[in-house]
Amino acid sequence: MTNNLTDRLNRFQAFWRHFSGAEAINNILVICIILYIWNFISGAIDNPARYLPAPDVVFLSSFDLFHKGLLPVYFGETMARLVTGSFIGLALGIPFGLALGLNKTISDIFHPILNFFQSVSGIAIFPIIVIWWGNSEKTVLAIILYTAFFPVAFSVLSGVRTVPMRYVQAAQTLGASHWQIVKDVLIPGAMPYIATGSRLSIGFGWRAVIAGEMLAGRQGMGWMIFTGQDADRTHEVILGMVVIGLTWIVLDRYLLRPFEADTIERWGLVQR
Amino acid sequence: MTAKLVVEGLSHHYPDEYTGIDVHALDDINIEVEEGEFVAVVGPSGCGKTTLLNILAGLLPYKVGSAYVDGVKIEGPGPERGVVFQEHAILPWRSVARNIGHGLEIRGVPEAERKSRVSEYINLVGLEGFEDRYPHELSGGMKQRVAVARTLCADPEVMLMDEPFAAVDAQTRITLQEEINRISIATKKTTMFITHAVDEAAFLGDRCFVMSRRPGKVKAIVDIKIPREKRIWKDILADEEFVAARDNILKLVREEVTRDD
Repeated sequence: MTNNLTDRLNRFQAFWRHFSGAEAINNILVICIILYIWNFISGAIDNPARYLPAPDVVFLSSFDLFHKGLLPVYFGETMARLVTGSFIGLALGIPFGLALGLNKTISDIFHPILNFFQSVSGIAIFPIIVIWWGNSEKTVLAIILYTAFFPVAFSVLSGVRTVPMRYVQAAQTLGASHWQIVKDVLIPGAMPYIATGSRLSIGFGWRAVIAGEMLAGRQGMGWMIFTGQDADRTHEVILGMVVIGLTWIVLDRYLLRPFEADTIERWGLVQR
Repeated sequence: MTAKLVVEGLSHHYPDEYTGIDVHALDDINIEVEEGEFVAVVGPSGCGKTTLLNILAGLLPYKVGSAYVDGVKIEGPGPERGVVFQEHAILPWRSVARNIGHGLEIRGVPEAERKSRVSEYINLVGLEGFEDRYPHELSGGMKQRVAVARTLCADPEVMLMDEPFAAVDAQTRITLQEEINRISIATKKTTMFITHAVDEAAFLGDRCFVMSRRPGKVKAIVDIKIPREKRIWKDILADEEFVAARDNILKLVREEVTRDD
């Protein structure tokens, strides 16, 4: 009797996993549970408007902010900063990591310095940047760039170094020049690390944008949640947090992960 | 006329990677391979066969003795010496066709010519229909077919093969050995084939160089005068000359394995 039941349960689970959209339904279920608990707590406390506004209040406030045009403007500014900052960060970090991976002399010179700065987080260099450039756009961009630079540079460096020697030798015996080995073997061989490093860097960059806007910005999502706290508009603070989190999920899932899958998994370099 | 590939008085020492103790890998090796000849080098593991191949491939610098291809001293790797490695040497990010055409691409051969050459070698190794597949989608045997085709497609003067079938299963190995024989008939490529498998050496070699235990020396040269066309596994096992040559090589290798000194 019990066996029969486990059997049926297993079959149901197998069916559920293979049912297309099962994952989406699971996600929706989890979200519903969170919303329910949130709503419950919000109803149980005093002064929820100040401490934890209910989900529907937050949701409705998004209409209000949309209507005033504030949310799209803030969101657009934040995205523009993320794109600019992480683009420059990657554009500098990837070649730098490659140079370090390819040339021992360059790596010997820069590695300790790189290690030093990697440990000084973006937030720790904030004060000095503000002293130089004040609360300006330049300051926010500098923080994003600084934060995005290191993860990708280090990833690319180790990526180049993990390319098996065999591949290099095989290309050498086919008559490949130095540059052809870099182009045909070392860069493609480091691709998994370049992709993962880029994803990491953009992820760190995303956090840095919000932090930068909170501390030195005058616009953007970070600014919105920061001023929301000052003005006692808790619903705007929570709305800002939700938008930040959701944006990352969408970015990662529909932009960064497919890029990774398209190159690396097709080559069988990453086993799933 | 001098031989195609000449090795003269080649000796090699190197410090062990972990202990730093001097290893005497090769001792006064002399080998001559004639144009179009297929030479097998067989010996017990650790006899320095792979060291020899790496030196000839130009991947390992050497000081004592010399080695020539067409009278030109070997110094560093070069496209006139194609190498087929044991495994994991074709590039995972290139499709079958682009792996096979890599040598031509490196040399700057125009795409149209490259394509026709590549398809010729794809046919030769029997990989039609797999042109656009990536290495991770292939079996071990197919990967080695790609590796062989890549080396041949670059049209080297000499082909060096380092235990290319050691990592594939026994059934596939037999098929690949017959294919290499067929390809050798078709291309008449001068080949040095390194192996520890006595059967394989006797089956493929026109001559078989048997190496001693470390420090590796050429202990004996066994001629196998069986026409290449007759080298098919189901027939050759009944060939008296093959059996005699194989048993002779086996005896010579066994002496090295069991020798205690």
